[in-house]
Amino acid sequence: MSATQIRRDAAEEVPDEAALGPGASRAGRPSRRSGEWRALVIQPVLVVLGVLAFVLWRATATLSETEARQLGAAALWDSTLRHLSLTAVAAAIVLLIAIPLGVALTRPALRRFTPVVIGLANVGQAAPAIGLFVLLAMWLGFGFWTTVVALVVYSALPVLRNTMVGIQGVDPRLVEAGRGMGMSGLAVLLRVELPLAAPVILAGVRTALVLLVGTATLATFIAGGGLGVLINTGITLSLDSLLISGAVLVALLALAVDWLGRVVEYVARPKGL
Amino acid sequence: MSDPVPTPVAPAAPERRVSGVPIRLEHVTKRYPGQDRPAVDDVSLEIAAGETVMFVGPSGCGKTTLLKMINRLIEPTSGRIFLGDEDVTNQDPDRLRRRIGYVIQAGGLFPHMTVATNVGMVPRMLGWEKPRIAERIDELLDLVGLDPDVYRDRYPRELSGGQQQRVGVARALAADPPVLLMDEPFGAVDPITRHRLQDELIAIQGEIGKTIVFVTHDFDEALKLGDRIVVFDVGARIVQYDTPEAILADPAEEYVAKFVGAGATLKQLTLTRVNSLELRPATTATVGEAAAAAVARARAAGDELIVVLDRRGRPISWPTVAEVSRMTTIPATVDEKLPVVGLGSTLSDALDTMLAASQGGAVVLGRRDRLAGVVTVEMIMDVVQRTRQEAAG
Amino acid sequence: MWDFLVDRRGQIAYQAFQHVSLVVQCVLLGTLIALVLAALVYRNPVATSLANGLSAVGLTIPAFALLGILLAPFGFGIAPAVIAVTFYATLPVLRNAVVGLAGVDRSVIESARGIGMSRPATLLRIELPLAWPVILAGIRISTQMVMGIAAIAAYVLGPGLGGFIFTGLARLGGANALESALVGTIAIVVLALVLDLLLLVVGRLTTPRGIRV
Repeated sequence: MSATQIRRDAAEEVPDEAALGPGASRAGRPSRRSGEWRALVIQPVLVVLGVLAFVLWRATATLSETEARQLGAAALWDSTLRHLSLTAVAAAIVLLIAIPLGVALTRPALRRFTPVVIGLANVGQAAPAIGLFVLLAMWLGFGFWTTVVALVVYSALPVLRNTMVGIQGVDPRLVEAGRGMGMSGLAVLLRVELPLAAPVILAGVRTALVLLVGTATLATFIAGGGLGVLINTGITLSLDSLLISGAVLVALLALAVDWLGRVVEYVARPKGL
Repeated sequence: MSDPVPTPVAPAAPERRVSGVPIRLEHVTKRYPGQDRPAVDDVSLEIAAGETVMFVGPSGCGKTTLLKMINRLIEPTSGRIFLGDEDVTNQDPDRLRRRIGYVIQAGGLFPHMTVATNVGMVPRMLGWEKPRIAERIDELLDLVGLDPDVYRDRYPRELSGGQQQRVGVARALAADPPVLLMDEPFGAVDPITRHRLQDELIAIQGEIGKTIVFVTHDFDEALKLGDRIVVFDVGARIVQYDTPEAILADPAEEYVAKFVGAGATLKQLTLTRVNSLELRPATTATVGEAAAAAVARARAAGDELIVVLDRRGRPISWPTVAEVSRMTTIPATVDEKLPVVGLGSTLSDALDTMLAASQGGAVVLGRRDRLAGVVTVEMIMDVVQRTRQEAAG
Repeated sequence: MWDFLVDRRGQIAYQAFQHVSLVVQCVLLGTLIALVLAALVYRNPVATSLANGLSAVGLTIPAFALLGILLAPFGFGIAPAVIAVTFYATLPVLRNAVVGLAGVDRSVIESARGIGMSRPATLLRIELPLAWPVILAGIRISTQMVMGIAAIAAYVLGPGLGGFIFTGLARLGGANALESALVGTIAIVVLALVLDLLLLVVGRLTTPRGIRV
């Protein structure tokens, strides 16, 4: 990002005829990628530094027995793995449901349902995550799978919406061109529509992933486990070290997942877009 | 110049009013960090009060930079700038700019404000009373040929490109600044609109007599609008600073000659203005009057065409006597393709207009769109013949 | 369910008011902070990247984690709730304000400067109004998001409808647990939609006619 702006600023410094013209925006293109690339490097460095700082603090801090047990390597590893598996399972289900559903809703036969689904999605977006968790737990009982269901319900919306928006954003003339050269409907979808919609869809997936990591902290309230347990225990037992450790680790995990999403977006974006 | 034809308007040229002040640049230099050559290198230039001076030169030659240093949108690295006798180099730039009109491409209008708010911006900043601002807005819209009642409350996006540009000029003139800076203002409009806007600028300048500095890359525009032209090379080096006639007749360097381009005889058509011709008077008729009376007047004057004026005295159509004699009253129909030129139009514009309308003549407008007379293709051919003979003999 | 609504109508109305009041005040405060920050950074490319990075990173931090972190210095109560909700309310507005201000046509700014408007006047009268639709979109995103976050804040004894949800959780299996959680959740959904509608109206009323689409 910064590279673009530095370059644009350089253009502003020489405000003669050419510099203020459309040439300035044309120049922005290649540098945008390099700017993104720089952000992609900085983010994991920050995460690693954060983890190192946490390890250093853990190694030097004096802790009570409860704290030390909860913050032991094995316990932390278990909580983190549990948190990640909640996220991963929910994410996999979201991708399996939301992307095909989004694609289906853009097909001519089902297109008339699109406004209804978008409207429902927007109403759903307004629902508080914690309310969803508690209500689902009352209905399905506590535990891992209820948490997964709640997470899926809560994070399917961005993927669904971005899939639809992305495909609808594909220039209809390109679709027509594809059909015109004899590609089947499926071929047009796979070779034209989905690749062109990929950046938007991937952005939705990344949003969902970050949302999942964050929302999975609420799993602690319905016995779903994960790093939220550390925070919750810290709050109920007034153990600041537990509380902060949990919060910091979740934040670092969210940043790491966000970074992974960005890398995927960067790599999977079709060349030429 | 002979006394021109029965026109409701006085001729623009010789004794025009001057309200501008001279501009003097002394050793002005602009250097950007990290560039080995200055964008503007030690330029000194004097611009007389009330003159229109055109800056021409290739892209990147520094002409725009020089223009923007006059209102200090770009701060000069060194050198001094005078408006009149006043050294403005160290004046508060915001205050300075309120005394200098500034017009850019597409007018640079504020899209979220109405035409009236846009035009009234500078007077408001200067703390004028509300009624005075309102009055001034109407006066200016009228000056640039936009009916205040129609356009006052419109938003910029509801206007055509040419209308936006007119509002841009009106805004620049709002606080009656002595100096007007124009940065390629007509670059983004179509050629026909551009010709009209140029004509209108000439007419307006005839009324107000500001000192105008005008940047363009179009040499024909410079010939048409400029009292003087400055031809720049890289670093804003002044290659030639002279009247259009002198630059055409005697280019200072090969560089200028190349810039002027071929076809110098025909360029004379660009230099000669409609107001220097002896315009033919026209028989006129006003909307709603009895057709027979108009026909009788035309027959008496020996005219084959009648110029129909609306109630504000502006020409709207140009039917033949035969057509009018079939009517009972003069209709209010507006002929969209009516060939119209201004007093300040060049003969080349007039010829273009006639060709576009497939007519052998054009109606000439004076100030505030009132009829000034008629120009015909024969009159223009006469000029070409004369120039040829002079060149030959 | 009906009995629950009727019996607790006073309490429901009060908590709903508290919830909306917390959200509205924090969004207002967040918008103010975001606009000031955006105005400070938008002309400086390095600062702009920093601000963009901050809002991106800030939005990845889970709300429950931030609330937890804030408990340590501030203890239970209003303070951590207000800080967390304001924090999340600020970020989308900041991001959109920076984008909106950067998107204002340069020639319009130049002509504002060219007719003698000062820097602050150009920002207030030209740039902010032109960026307003984008900023308002950010405010709508913020409001939707913090309605849910304010519910979690009830866990640290902040005010609002989240209390009903946590009461339902605590009394699980007991009387009125489901009713309590349902009322909290549905009331938040309804209020979020009402606020969004209000913001839509505010948008219609405050967007200058010349730039309305």
